[in-house]
Amino acid sequence: MKILIIEDEPGLQQSIVQYLMSEGNQCSMASTYAQALERLGLYDYDCILLDLGLPDGEGLQLLNYLKRLNRTEGVIIISARNSIDQKIEGLRLGADDYLTKPFHLSELNARILAVVRRKSAHGERHIEFKEIRIDLDAKEVLVKGKLVYLTKKEFDLLLYFVANKGKVISKSAAVEHIWGDDSDMADSFDFIYTHIKNIRKKLTDAGSGDYFQSVYGVGYKFMEI
Amino acid sequence: MKLFTRYNIILMAISLFGLLLIGSLFYRLLGYYLDKQIDHDLVEEIMEVKEYASKGNFYQPHEFEDLVVQYKKIKKANPSSSYADTIFYNPVKHHTETARYLKTELELLGQPYQILVIASKSERQEQIQNICLIILVPVMLLFALVLLVNRILLKKIWTPFEQLLKNITAFNINHEVPYQPVEMPVAEFRQLNKVLVELSGKVKSDYNEIKLFTENASHEMMTPLAVINSKLDNMLQSNVLEKEHGETLVELYKATSRLTKLNQSLLLLVKIDNNLLQDKEKINLKSLIEEKYVYFQELINGRNIHVESVLADVSIYANQQLLEILINNLFSNVIRHNYDGGQVEIRLDPEKIVFANTGHNPALDPEKIFDRFYKDHASEGTGLGLAILKQICNRQHFLLNYTYHHDLHTFIITFKH
Repeated sequence: MKILIIEDEPGLQQSIVQYLMSEGNQCSMASTYAQALERLGLYDYDCILLDLGLPDGEGLQLLNYLKRLNRTEGVIIISARNSIDQKIEGLRLGADDYLTKPFHLSELNARILAVVRRKSAHGERHIEFKEIRIDLDAKEVLVKGKLVYLTKKEFDLLLYFVANKGKVISKSAAVEHIWGDDSDMADSFDFIYTHIKNIRKKLTDAGSGDYFQSVYGVGYKFMEI
Repeated sequence: MKLFTRYNIILMAISLFGLLLIGSLFYRLLGYYLDKQIDHDLVEEIMEVKEYASKGNFYQPHEFEDLVVQYKKIKKANPSSSYADTIFYNPVKHHTETARYLKTELELLGQPYQILVIASKSERQEQIQNICLIILVPVMLLFALVLLVNRILLKKIWTPFEQLLKNITAFNINHEVPYQPVEMPVAEFRQLNKVLVELSGKVKSDYNEIKLFTENASHEMMTPLAVINSKLDNMLQSNVLEKEHGETLVELYKATSRLTKLNQSLLLLVKIDNNLLQDKEKINLKSLIEEKYVYFQELINGRNIHVESVLADVSIYANQQLLEILINNLFSNVIRHNYDGGQVEIRLDPEKIVFANTGHNPALDPEKIFDRFYKDHASEGTGLGLAILKQICNRQHFLLNYTYHHDLHTFIITFKH
């Protein structure tokens, strides 16, 4: 996929590029509004990451620009402001998602995949990983055609890991993915272990391989062995 | 004690003392002058005696004169006279009375006599009493009148001051309404009013500046936090990490996450303070609590916490987002501060929500637990959860109370209709 990263903080820009490139994406970078306009004038992208607070312009105007030209790129706003009004305004102007800083790169990656999938006209409505098939519409998981009953949180977690397959996902990122921002539960890291254990058991019971790996006690990786 | 009561008590004490002092002086002075007058009469009687004696008679006054003249033969007359008070038997009225006498020695008809003239004072005394009464009663009346006028006048003058007090009490730094100035005819009060208007304006603008500062500082911290987080995520993908690096990463993740939560909580507090979440809608509390219960279920089960809930079907008008945060905070609170295998009680009825939990701590100080950054050292929380709870309750006009009984830390939120 071709992704344009519009972000003025070099440290963050570089990390995002590093993570997304390792997933096999092509990344372009823009640190200013002017650069972003230039890039958009030259190329088409699959997805655009847009920081709203740019040094030389308001990110929301870029959304207006894309809308005027009927561009079909998926846009994810990344902003330090967790404001509902801004979120609503951004989505109204055609953004597809809104991610508040700080975020985990695995979360960003999962969001990009979801946006691109939603955007593409003949988008696949299911994801396959070896013998596991995840139906995104029915929110069902099938192993070798057999239905596996997962709770909502387990389903979300499995999808999250599959979207970031081959990458280590920290417990911190997994907790935030499941419990979101509102819950003030920094001490809930250990419950991820229980969830992973349950998913693992349900999948292997259904005849799938065990693809979860614990990494240094920091997190887990979902990958082919 | 009210200023006015205090003022009156002092005024009354001084007036009473003064009145007694002046009254007794007046009484004595009056008595002294009356004595002088009687003494003068007594001298006249003696002259009468002398005049009678020159005609060869002994003078005796009329019966109705309340006067007695006594003659006593003595050996030698010393020309001296003395006045004094005494008590005598009034033969006309047949009872004893206070009196004044003059004792003198004279030669009458060639013989030395001691002559005692006694005059009754009772009538004069009555006169004094009457005079005192005539003066005292109007003075007392005047005094009462002054007090009454004082009372009415002061009350009238202090009314705007009391309104001013009411307005200061009503002034809330968190509310949009500024301090309401009061119209004052008294110059000092007007000045006080002016100072208060300025002061409240200053307080409000300072407070807003602090809020803005908190907001900006928290926002500015989010970008560096995002850099740290993303660098950690990339570092985690490295294949050359040792086990000890892993442990360091866990700690770094935890610290970053705490810092992020802290920042988010501060921003949330500012947002609630600024009253940015105002839209109200009908919210079914029962289903909200049940939904949140599912959300927290793993955490509850993981610690073997036994939850007992009695939920009535209650809906209220409130802000959806705030109420979700409220229930979230209540849940994370009863889970976090519980021990493994502990108890949680949740009750919902049309008047209130009650969340109660067992915990390691004994009763907490209800005055302090809702303060920002009040927490026990073992807690991994931000110390803002209960402060946010309190703030939400203030905004939604709920009453938030904490009690501790039967080993349960109990949080009660009462809806005011």
